[in-house]
Formats: sequence, structure tokens, C-alpha cells
Amino acid sequence: MQLEVNIARKAFTNAAGERHDVLADFNFALGSGEVGVFVGPSGCGKSTMLKIVAGLDHDYQGGAAYPAGARIGMVFQEPRLLPWRSVDDNVRLAAPKVDDEKLSALFAVLELTAHRNHFPGELSLGLARRAALARAFAIEPDFLILDEPLASLDDALAVRLREQIATLVDSRCATTLLVTHDVDDAIRLGDRLFLLSHRPARILAELPIRTPRSARSEAEIAAIKADVARRTNGDRAERDA
Amino acid sequence: MLRLLSFTVFLATWWGAALLAGGEKLPPPPAVLAAIVAEADSGALFFNLGVTLARVALAFTLAMTLGAAIGYLMGRVPLADRLGDPWLIVLLNLPALVVIVLAYIWAGLTEVAAIAAIAINKLPIAVVTVREGTRVLDTALDEMATVFAVPRWRAFRHVILPQLAPYIATAARSGLSLVWKIVLVAELLGRPNGVGFEIGVAFQLFDITRLLAYSLTFAAVVLVIETVLVQPFEIRLSRWRPRAA
Repeated sequence: MQLEVNIARKAFTNAAGERHDVLADFNFALGSGEVGVFVGPSGCGKSTMLKIVAGLDHDYQGGAAYPAGARIGMVFQEPRLLPWRSVDDNVRLAAPKVDDEKLSALFAVLELTAHRNHFPGELSLGLARRAALARAFAIEPDFLILDEPLASLDDALAVRLREQIATLVDSRCATTLLVTHDVDDAIRLGDRLFLLSHRPARILAELPIRTPRSARSEAEIAAIKADVARRTNGDRAERDA
Repeated sequence: MLRLLSFTVFLATWWGAALLAGGEKLPPPPAVLAAIVAEADSGALFFNLGVTLARVALAFTLAMTLGAAIGYLMGRVPLADRLGDPWLIVLLNLPALVVIVLAYIWAGLTEVAAIAAIAINKLPIAVVTVREGTRVLDTALDEMATVFAVPRWRAFRHVILPQLAPYIATAARSGLSLVWKIVLVAELLGRPNGVGFEIGVAFQLFDITRLLAYSLTFAAVVLVIETVLVQPFEIRLSRWRPRAA
């Protein structure tokens, strides 16, 4: 599934009545099955951009184009599970037609099998995030949106969850939009990196990574990381000047 | 056990007060019990209780359905809120008696008038409570339902309704106690049967024994309905909440 996004301008009016630009000339395209990762400072407008692409915010100038009827799976920054439904029922609400066997396999990959009948209030944040991931993958999305799925998790858990996401993304071949402020996550998960500026967010650079995810060596990751650091420092110098 | 104790204390106090005040003003428990048995024997007790309960059920259902629908609308649509708000304030503060008397004047001394009057008295409380619940609905969950393309009705049932449930339960609980109070007044003023009517008759004859017989049976029925129907319902609604330690 192809995705093309052209946001000419998105502005917010704050409580004091002042208008602030959040996004300006924000254009990108993703090929079918490609994982686009957006890296930028916190508060730069990444989540706003995701909301627009997901069709939750129509108050902007521009357009986001993907095939009509595309199934969207989204993992929000917070898990957003229904507290009155068990993990299993939460997933089934979004994916009523899910195949029982596939769902069991998905829960197994995400190490959630033991928690299927728990209510979200009984889960830790890490488990709740995984439940949200399960929900997004259960609908077998054409288009997957992940908003900082690894934020505020401890390192060991984040690494495991990142591997789980990589496995799932590879097996589903869904066009994926991932937002993160962690460069390491970005390089390990993405096919194409987009480096974002401070507000109003613009795309500073687009870095395609040609090596397949599983074949990336530590040396290559370090090299890309250095490149990213050089480019983002440039932005900071430019801003400070 | 504690309930039994508190009931015994109530009976003892009553009996003691009856001895002090004399049977004329406050008949002792056995006299009232005898009156209850006599009324039950003739079938009048069950008939009147049944009639009153039917009115309560009808008026309550009507007010809850309409009230929840209007409250949801006012919580969701600002225009509806602005239009409806003055009416709501008037209805909230209008004495029950005014509504009942006007209903009987305009619609005659009919069953429809009685039930409508009771329902109108309860309606604004349901509207206000459900509107409050609608205003604090979690938009984050709404967005989730939109992104995952959950059909409208399913989303309403599984995402919206559970959030409103505590508010609807509160409206039902406070509304029910209001209906219990008002139904008797409506019956006293314009119906030829029901607990309220019997109490009115007892008042005119100064028959305190009969008055107490009906009031206490009515109170017992209310208590049973609250414990058997309302409380289990509330527990069921909140079963997903983690148990307090």
C-alpha cells in the first residue's frame, strides 16, 4: 500500500488565542511495506502528524492519500485499552473477524498468552503496550501507525519489544509509520528515516537504509547513528545561530 | 446480623414510644401487623402495592430512557445544551406538586397524567447526570474506535456506554428514590387506588394503624427492590474495577 502525505500547514490556537504553526510543508511518501521512521525532538509535532495521517484530525491544509478502505492499525502513545474489557476482548473489539489460531500465535509472540483474560487495570505499562500492539496487529493492517511504542519502558523490555515489532512488521508486510525520539530504535526498525526539526516541524533529511533489518551489523548501525547525530546537530547549530 | 440488630432496635424504640404516647397516636407493632395481615387477607394490600409498583416501573422507565437520551444529546451537541439548559433549570427546581397538579388539570385525573407527572419530576435529574457523564467521555478512546473503524453502534455499546454506566446507575439510584416519594403524592391527589390513595383515606379517617400498615409495607418493598435489583446491578457494572484491598 502506497502512502503519500502532503501537509502544507497545520496550526493550533492555544488558550490565549495565539496561533502556532505545528507542521509546515511536511511532505513524504512511503512505498508498499516500507517502514518509515520519524525521529525528532519531543514536542515537535510528531503525534499531530500521525493523527492527521490516521484521519483523526481534519483541521489542516493539505492531504494524506492512501487507498480507500485500507485497514489502519494504530498504537497510540498511551495503550488506550478499554478498562472494562479483558485483553482478549479489547483485541476482538477492534478485530471481530480475527482467526482464533492467528490470535493465539500473536499473543504468543508478544508473550501475552497468560494475560489474555486480565483486565487492563491489572497489567503493567509494558504489558498494556503489548496488548495495544496485539490489537493493532490483529486486524492485519495494510497500514500500521506506531506512536512511540517503546517510550518509558526499561531497556531490556524495550529491546525485546522492538524485536517483537520487527518480527511482526516483517511477517505482515504492512506499510508502517513509526515515531520515536530514540535514534537507536529508529535505525534498527526503519527502512527510511526522516529527521525532523523543531517546531514547526519540517523534514530535515530523508535517509533510506538499504540493508534489510535482520542483516544490519552493529558497525553499520553505529555509522548511521553518527550520520544522524551530525545532521541533527547541524539543525541545533542553525537554530542557535 | 447487624441488620437484624438495627431492625430490633427500631422495633423496640417504636414499641417503647407507642407505650409512652398511647395507642391512639402511635399504635404498637402488633396492632399494625394485624392491620397488615387483614389488608393482605382481603387482597387489597397486594392490589394497591401492585398498582403503585406498576406506576413506579412505567414512570421510571420512561424518565430514564428519555432522560438518558436527552442528557447524551446535550452532552454531545453544544447547541442542544444551550437550548435545553434553561428548561432543565426550570424543571429541576419546579416543585413536584406543581407538576402533578398541572398534569391533572390539563390531562384529567387519568393514569397517563399521573405517570407523566412522575416521569417529568424525575426526568431532569437523569438528564443532568447523564449530560455530566457525556461531557467527561474519554476522547482518547473515541479516537481509538475511529482509527480501528469500529462500527458506530458497536462503539457506542462497548466504548461509550460503559463510560456512561456509572452515571446512568447514579441517575437510576437517585431517580428511583425520587419516584418512590412522588408516586404516593400523585396517587393521593388524583388516583382511585394505590398505596398513596390508601394513605390519603387513612389520613382522612385518622386511621394511624392503617396508615402505618401501608407505609411500612411500602418501605419494605422499596428495601427489597433496592437490595435485590439495584445493588446487584451496581456491583455487576463495576466488576472490572480492581478490588479494593
